[in-house]
Amino acid sequence: MQPSRREDLRLIQGTGHYTADWNQPGQLYGYVLRSPEAHADIVSLNVEPARAFPGVVKVMTFADVEAAGFKSLVGGVAPNVKGVGDSAMKKPFYPVLADKKVQYVGQAVAYVIAETAAIAQDASEAIEIEYSQLPPTVTVEDSLADGAPQLHADIPGNVGFVYERGDAAAVDEQFKRAKYTSKIHLESQRLIVNPMEPRACLAVYHADEDRYTLYSSSQGIVNMRNQVSTVTGIPQAKLEIIADDVGGSFGIRSTPYPEYMVSLLAAKQLGKPIKWVGTRTDSFLSDYHGRALELNGEIAIDENGRFLAFRWDDRVDLGGYAGGNGAFIGTNNLTITCGGVYDVAALYARTRLIYTNTTPISAYRGAGRPDIAFAIERLVDQACHDHGLDPVETRRKNFVKAAQMPYKTPLGTTYDCGDFAAVMDDALAQADWAGFAGRKAASEKAGKLRGIGFATFLEASGGGNTPSDQTAARFDAKGDVTIYCAAGASGQGHETTFISLFAKELGITEDGIGYRASDSNMAVVGNGTGGSRTLLGQGSSFKLLAQKVIEKATPHAAEALGVTADAVSYAGGSFSAGGKSVGLRELAKKLASAAAAHPFDCGAEGTFGVTFPNGCHVAEVEFDPVTGVAEIASYAAVDDLGNVMQPTLVLGQVHGGVVQGAGQVFGEHAVYDRESGQFLTASFMDYTMPRAATVPLAMKWRGHAVPTKTNLLGAKGVGESGCSGSLPALMNAVMNALRPMGIDNMQMPITAAKVWQALQASEGGAAVRKAA
Amino acid sequence: MSKIEMTVNGKTVAGEAEDRTLLVNFLRDNLGLTGTHVGCDTSQCGCCTIHLNGDAIKSCTMLAIQAEGADIVTIEGMAKGEKLHPVQQAFTECHGLQCGFCTPGMIMTSAAILKQTPNPTEHDIVKGLHGNLCRCTGYVNIVKSVKRAAEIINSGA
Repeated sequence: MQPSRREDLRLIQGTGHYTADWNQPGQLYGYVLRSPEAHADIVSLNVEPARAFPGVVKVMTFADVEAAGFKSLVGGVAPNVKGVGDSAMKKPFYPVLADKKVQYVGQAVAYVIAETAAIAQDASEAIEIEYSQLPPTVTVEDSLADGAPQLHADIPGNVGFVYERGDAAAVDEQFKRAKYTSKIHLESQRLIVNPMEPRACLAVYHADEDRYTLYSSSQGIVNMRNQVSTVTGIPQAKLEIIADDVGGSFGIRSTPYPEYMVSLLAAKQLGKPIKWVGTRTDSFLSDYHGRALELNGEIAIDENGRFLAFRWDDRVDLGGYAGGNGAFIGTNNLTITCGGVYDVAALYARTRLIYTNTTPISAYRGAGRPDIAFAIERLVDQACHDHGLDPVETRRKNFVKAAQMPYKTPLGTTYDCGDFAAVMDDALAQADWAGFAGRKAASEKAGKLRGIGFATFLEASGGGNTPSDQTAARFDAKGDVTIYCAAGASGQGHETTFISLFAKELGITEDGIGYRASDSNMAVVGNGTGGSRTLLGQGSSFKLLAQKVIEKATPHAAEALGVTADAVSYAGGSFSAGGKSVGLRELAKKLASAAAAHPFDCGAEGTFGVTFPNGCHVAEVEFDPVTGVAEIASYAAVDDLGNVMQPTLVLGQVHGGVVQGAGQVFGEHAVYDRESGQFLTASFMDYTMPRAATVPLAMKWRGHAVPTKTNLLGAKGVGESGCSGSLPALMNAVMNALRPMGIDNMQMPITAAKVWQALQASEGGAAVRKAA
Repeated sequence: MSKIEMTVNGKTVAGEAEDRTLLVNFLRDNLGLTGTHVGCDTSQCGCCTIHLNGDAIKSCTMLAIQAEGADIVTIEGMAKGEKLHPVQQAFTECHGLQCGFCTPGMIMTSAAILKQTPNPTEHDIVKGLHGNLCRCTGYVNIVKSVKRAAEIINSGA
């Protein structure tokens, strides 16, 4: 029996360590009282009845975090990013616990600490709060309306930022000379990220050393520690963060949350560890939400079917505050590839970032990249339909050609490499594009509506916000080695991948190699897991690290072999010179001592640039016109992910990404009531998660690698490509099936009820129902 | 507080818990069996699935005192020493897990599916897994794992 991964043996036997599995002697338990109101003034807040509750130790409110000097939670665009007219982003103070006013249902208001979790929750019900309701706005449309409720006194009109990128005048010129134009309005609806492990933390204060330990899931230590420190004032050097196993992230664990900060404060004030374990309801209400973007696109095409320009006017729902990475997504990520895989003369995008009385938005798998890929490919498909252009040949005609690489877009983004036509042809062949008519006829015979759709897309991976990715190697007294980086895994299999990569680079077996991520005691910095970048960033740095180990060991090998260092060569795990050899491991063991640092200990770092995973996904969807129920009839994808290190793990990432996209297309939707601002989908009973019965289990996939030179591995990244491909491919298939019924646009999620209603209202639907 | 006694993974165990304590919390907090996870509060996700008197049940949907005298198996009791249960073996062979948080529940449910249906069709499997959510794998390799586990069990390995 061969385990797929090193991680697996503990995870399949229940011996992993997720955050809620940690305990400390004498720990107390926290419970967050959240706002039941979408928009309200806090008229009075009396926590005394809760304080008096037997077993309650402390109740914290804004007054406590204010007294501790806590700053605003971190969010918004970087200070150097300017909007239209050189404007700065308007960011309200985002308190760790609400101050005088609440801006969304679920905002943290008070923190009760008690001897048990149940007591803390019971006591929270004794807190007396008088809210004075204010009219809420839960959509960008309502926030922008005349007379809209104002969330923040210093942000009139609820507009946080107006950002633009590209050349508006050049795009106007292209539209003037265009023979054909098309436009589309699309919503990438608000989603709940829902990793299966709810958030949790355990905060410990070590009084003797004035130092803190925070057990908390994360995607990487640098952002987490930096932001906790910024908000709480705890120096980074005094804050250790421990995350062993992390039960999924998908973007929401890259930055810290209020519970972590108040728990650290309480741990110090009470001298006892504080444990908080969120429920799924907490996840729905208070984890950053994802997507919530509205994309309005236009395309200009000349008489020969050549694309001339794209113009975008997008609206970004920030939620009640600028938290996490919502503003970054709404500016950089939505625009950086807004011409997709196409060679166009001009591009322009404007995005407006709007506050609403909803949970703040941050990253969800792809973080704006799937959304813009979806919008471009829906627009291109719509244009082909509007003007009778062939979707395959029109795309081919307009691709950035392999010979044009590296290709600089009108926005200045440089695509380093790719062969989009070859990827498309490969994908269409795999999907038997040419045979669709026969399958459609068979579906029709069975009374079903069948549609086919595809998308040719790319996305930017790899940026990162830390200047370099560092790694380190530490040899122990036995000569075994542990390798370190700052990124945190949450299912991607970093432990398996990086140990394998490091061992291969050194030409040694994997025995005796350990891996630690995000170890606070190691001064290793680097980007967190995100942007599909960990292999190309940290992985490249591990490749460098292996080379450093050889450099460090070479003089010692020379000494052992009785030659000068330049006479020594290294291959297959051994140093050799003049017919004699010594193994790296043997030498490491010989030089190891418990008393001193190992002479092979070393670090490596590198900066690895943006690259562009791309692909072509092809989907077929079948609707039952009587019920509106959809089935994904087939799914076949080809991705250029550059070089692939771990094919099994990569395919797992593709499956997961495609199904998250399918979840958004067919069911997932976080819904607020427009009148009351109440959150209507706060449990798995109200929010449609993909389940085993609703996914394309027979998914076909193959890689089509065009390796990049922007990093040492030639890898482009895989984490997010599944979503970027499946949203547009599935939606183009949906529209291909529904257009003949007279339905010309439909917003996600494509639920059976929505399709059924649309078919009821359409002539085509009436005819097909009759036939069925 | 009540004293509760039950058999867990072949051993008789006892502990004190409030009447309102859920079985999953008793397993995790009183017995330290943290392999059984809590992923929701509405009995939807299946992360807390265990075997109680031979049936797969969601241990968040039962009070600890209701399990008085019961014979319980948790994920920690599936392997026999070094030898993994065939379902555990199949999940790792087929890369049926990524973050691993849903995995104990998936394994317990899958073992129950295979007990009832030794040669399941794909339809039997996806129907059987309807009460277990996974956010990472897209279920593709989970379904493969269950098929593979059936093969291992049926081959008598």
